[in-house]
Amino acid sequence: MSKLQIITKGILKENPTFVLILGMCPTLGVTSSAINGMGMGVATMAVLIMSNIVIALIKNLIPDKVRIPAFIVVIASFVTIIEMLMQAYVPALYASLGVFIPLIVVNCIILGRAEAFASKNGVLDSALDGIGIGLGFTLSLTTIGAVREVLGSGSIFGFTFAEGVMPLLFILAPGGFLVLGYLMVLFNKVAKR
Amino acid sequence: MKSSLKNMVVVLFTITAVSALLVALVQDITKDAIATANQEAKNVAKYKVLSTTAEEAMVVADTTRHIGDFQITVSTVQRKADQSIVGYAVEAPSITKSGYADCIVLMVGFVEEGDGCVVNGVEVLSQKETPGLGANMTKEGNSLERSIVGKSAKDVKFGVTKEGGSFDALTGSTISSRAYANAIETAYAGYLWATGRLNTSAEAVEAAPSGASMTYDNSEPEAQKGESNE
Amino acid sequence: MSNMNILIAENISSEVLKGFASGEVSVQAITLFAIVIGAIFVNNVVLSQFLGICPFLGVSSKVETSMGMGMAVTFVMALATLVTWCIQQYVLVPFGIGYMQTITFILVIAALVQMVEIVLKKVSPALYQALGIFLPLITTNCAVLGVAIITIQKNFDLLTGVIYAVAAALGFALALVLFAGIRERLEVEDTPEGMRGVPIALITAGLLAMAFMGFANVVPLP
Repeated sequence: MSKLQIITKGILKENPTFVLILGMCPTLGVTSSAINGMGMGVATMAVLIMSNIVIALIKNLIPDKVRIPAFIVVIASFVTIIEMLMQAYVPALYASLGVFIPLIVVNCIILGRAEAFASKNGVLDSALDGIGIGLGFTLSLTTIGAVREVLGSGSIFGFTFAEGVMPLLFILAPGGFLVLGYLMVLFNKVAKR
Repeated sequence: MKSSLKNMVVVLFTITAVSALLVALVQDITKDAIATANQEAKNVAKYKVLSTTAEEAMVVADTTRHIGDFQITVSTVQRKADQSIVGYAVEAPSITKSGYADCIVLMVGFVEEGDGCVVNGVEVLSQKETPGLGANMTKEGNSLERSIVGKSAKDVKFGVTKEGGSFDALTGSTISSRAYANAIETAYAGYLWATGRLNTSAEAVEAAPSGASMTYDNSEPEAQKGESNE
Repeated sequence: MSNMNILIAENISSEVLKGFASGEVSVQAITLFAIVIGAIFVNNVVLSQFLGICPFLGVSSKVETSMGMGMAVTFVMALATLVTWCIQQYVLVPFGIGYMQTITFILVIAALVQMVEIVLKKVSPALYQALGIFLPLITTNCAVLGVAIITIQKNFDLLTGVIYAVAAALGFALALVLFAGIRERLEVEDTPEGMRGVPIALITAGLLAMAFMGFANVVPLP
């Protein structure tokens, strides 16, 4: 697989949201608007790239049976460290992305990629995989967020065009499930072509 | 790598120890920076809610009140030029009504006008509400901010409109909106307390309306349509 | 400021005034009943809090397996909340290392699941047969971590916390079983091709979540 392919496969062929169906909880939880989806996507991508690198580095030192707990510890520490660093040195960024950071710990994408890719590949490839999957995740989340925002609050990226007339349902929990379901149908149709 | 009990224990222990050490190290390094950043954010908010800046005005007195685990700080802000009082910036949490996830902490600016005072501005200092719903309270010009800024504090009813209050709730976020109103109420009480005008005698407490009962008055079934439980 | 102009601020509620008078604030008392109903129906972990979606989509195609999974989750969630609550109160808080919360909790849950598996295998092979295959899945169930953290956030005492955890797990089980019931029927229906599998499951979950919205405002929330 070429380096470019590793990056691009995350967007379509192995799209984490629509194909791999990973990380559903944060996907549904934060996509009530496009900008939130994007924020979560970017924050996840940052953690994913770094955790992939670390895991690719230490993969040979870890016995198979304690692989998962070891990965979990690495990821959780990582997330905590990133959260503290952001809070200290880029408070403005933390104010907008901060709420998503703790959610990343429970995002199975990170563990999923650690297990499926980083534990079997080199450092560079793992970093690229992080970029690709991260991009795919960001794109999917932004799309879901945009659709829910347009349908639910009549705005896009915070720009309001129809206030108070759209059904709020799409911002609430049921709307999350419905929009993701229908977008998945659409994705399957398009991807098949 | 092949697993044996020995290497499993050793590796897992090492990883945990190294991770914990790293986290503790970073925590130690960032601790002060985080405190400074938080303080900085508060300072900016203090001047912002009174429509002034650190160049034009300064905090001359901080009065702090502890209620249970909560802390209310009233800062008196004075103009540097003529030493007249600009107003009071009050940092207050929602003490009797929690938000959806946690209590909400606001910075509220009160400017005295005649024998009353006007709410000059509100900044959200901390909240953990749901993104897209309750978290909208941090947006400029949201419905909660619009329903309080510029109002005379003594005429405000601290509740959401459908329950007879003065606050236009954020769409789908009644609980967050109630907590927001409660934080403003606490701030107002804190301001009155700091300026020696809060009557906390037993009779006054007796005569005051109960926030809990007000909450469930006037609710029309129609207004609850499409409402979430946030 | 003189005391001359003390005023009775008529719009400040008695609860807030009492706080300023006594320096103590009584937290709005929530009955256990409200906590239980709230956790099962109003704030259902899966359908309104979006926790534990992966096992929800993955396991729930048969009512029987859903029940098994639901029972396993209930057991682990109650145990995990019990242990993490004690760790928070007696280790993290006294030593001032609250920032280690996520790491500790995740490890504890992973270890707990392993231990439950080992103990169950030895003590009750029958129960192990029934629940065993679900246990590894629970490690990655974010609902367990989520509920443990919510319990700490809401300042529940130990008993309330465990009751809340059991109720939340029952809510999870309820959603799972209801969902499985619907999916068993769906399997024999002629679903449009692009919708088969996860998409139709998500849409079904959306409809179920809509039904659960009817519980909003039934009880004051914890």
